[in-house]
Amino acid sequence: MAPTGYSLTRDDGAERRVSLTGSVTLADGAALWQELRQALAGATAATIDLAGVARLDGGAAALLQAVRANWARGGRPFRFVGATGEVAHLLALYDSARHGAGDEPDPAPSSLLGDVGDFAHDTWRTTQAILAFLGDLVWSVGRAIRQPRTVHMGEFGLLVERAGADGLPIVMLINFLVGAILGLQGAIQLHRFGGDQFLASLVGLSVVRELGPLMTAILITGRSGAAYAAELGTMTVNEEIDALRTLGQDPQRFLVFPRVLAMVVVVPAMTIVGDFLGTLGGMAIAVGYLQQPAVVYVQVFQQWIDMLDIGTGLMKSIVFGIAIGLIACQRGLATRGGADGVGRSTTSAVVVVLFALVALDAAFTWVFSLLDW
Amino acid sequence: MTVVLEVRDLKIGYGGVPLLDEIAFDVLRGQVFAILGGSGCGKSTLLRTLIGLQAPLAGRVHFRGIGTPEQAMSPPQFGVLFQSAALFGSWTLLQNVMLPLQKWTQLPQDAVREVALARLRLVGLELAAQKLPSEVSGGMRKRAGIARALALDPPILFLDEPSAGLDPVTAAELDELILTLARGLSVTIVLVTHELPSILKIADQCLMLDREAGGVIARGAPRDLAEHAADPRVLAFFRRQSSPRNQ
Repeated sequence: MAPTGYSLTRDDGAERRVSLTGSVTLADGAALWQELRQALAGATAATIDLAGVARLDGGAAALLQAVRANWARGGRPFRFVGATGEVAHLLALYDSARHGAGDEPDPAPSSLLGDVGDFAHDTWRTTQAILAFLGDLVWSVGRAIRQPRTVHMGEFGLLVERAGADGLPIVMLINFLVGAILGLQGAIQLHRFGGDQFLASLVGLSVVRELGPLMTAILITGRSGAAYAAELGTMTVNEEIDALRTLGQDPQRFLVFPRVLAMVVVVPAMTIVGDFLGTLGGMAIAVGYLQQPAVVYVQVFQQWIDMLDIGTGLMKSIVFGIAIGLIACQRGLATRGGADGVGRSTTSAVVVVLFALVALDAAFTWVFSLLDW
Repeated sequence: MTVVLEVRDLKIGYGGVPLLDEIAFDVLRGQVFAILGGSGCGKSTLLRTLIGLQAPLAGRVHFRGIGTPEQAMSPPQFGVLFQSAALFGSWTLLQNVMLPLQKWTQLPQDAVREVALARLRLVGLELAAQKLPSEVSGGMRKRAGIARALALDPPILFLDEPSAGLDPVTAAELDELILTLARGLSVTIVLVTHELPSILKIADQCLMLDREAGGVIARGAPRDLAEHAADPRVLAFFRRQSSPRNQ
């Protein structure tokens, strides 16, 4: 053990007496804590003599009082003797009994059943909050139509640029790759059965009806949805939302409406681009892997994919856009606490939006199949 | 009394543009030293320079027996209470206070916890130990910030506007706490403030800054400055009058 600034001696016996001398400071706290515990082990009563202590700092005083408090809990006699001047003053300052307050109990440990219950409760509350928020938004839309000047559209262009133009490269790249991956998987299977010419319909229908809208919405959720939740969450914890309200501005119309509208514009527009690039990815495989002329791929595509297919995809993307904007803004405005709250609401926004997108996609597919679209 | 902090020919500013120049003062052991001035005069910038978060444009800050602020940071030879308390929001008050002890001492976890609880008890927050900063009031956050700053028994505490945003009763309680630290724990305290009641109650010495003058316009005991200062800007400050240059 490293040399310490203090020395400790003890008189063995059931009523233990420990003498400390020298400089007793937090720097030697680890050694002091260990030595005191060893010195007092097995004793029925303890006296710590501090007459020889030349210097005591606050941390060491806290440790000595912690030892005393632990003994007091066991009902065994314990006392400090010999402390004078500054040493006595510090000991009194850190005396827990002086403050008359006990240690606050730690929170009860969580259980699996409790965690499941909490999760179910949180999910129900979140769903309720989002539906209430949707109701507020619909109400706000009504008000906005009657009083268009109350809607803050000043940053609408910037929102569209950030969510749309700035995100275009990644949406193009990912959709192209998804189309190519789908094309390659499809080409391998179709080639076995001599159905090379159907690759365009396989990729085209999959991309235009399902993957294009879904992948694009997922990418926009990751970029813009998370950004909206973080931005509005930070504004909430900084009391900027409260400030808006005191200025007579409705956060729904001032912040949420432009963002949801931006999503309604951007997601379908990006979906069209994504559909095109996804189809192009499939064509790259058809040309490169199946040695199929590009014109054949285009002809088959035109033959199998009609405007209804593209329309159903775009219809989905509009609803996806509303869901992304709505949920991200709601989660952001529901932020509580500080920086950690912003992190939690951003994570929650992404998770809830992704779940909502998949659930909506499933619902659309089911409805479209019933309608034979 | 021993000098613990020396400041000589200090010039501070942002982006090479000077804000304050020719700042020089000594802080003595056990003193409560207040840096005063109106809003935007550079008080907080001076504090950031004293604690090494901002490099001076010229001059030096020297902790006697230790060296520069950078040398005094590792391990920390001073504690700092920031204006917003700057507690980590996802940690409880207890965890916030335990952090420096875990980093800079060899104490076992149970002893770290005991020392941190003792610091919180000292500032009257033992029962809020398990609460998050967002669950307590502004005054409690400030007190928890002081407990964290005190965790390693630093000989100097820097407090940036400790009473800002607090009600008079809470501010007065915080003043009492600062006096307890200074008188009871012999901690040297350097505080930045423009709260007159606090200055008059707790400061032994003060230094007054002025943006227009670009430096120090007065120094001395607060009562002396309040009653006998020759500079009308100082008198206006202590008498809560509008600035002479605005009249």
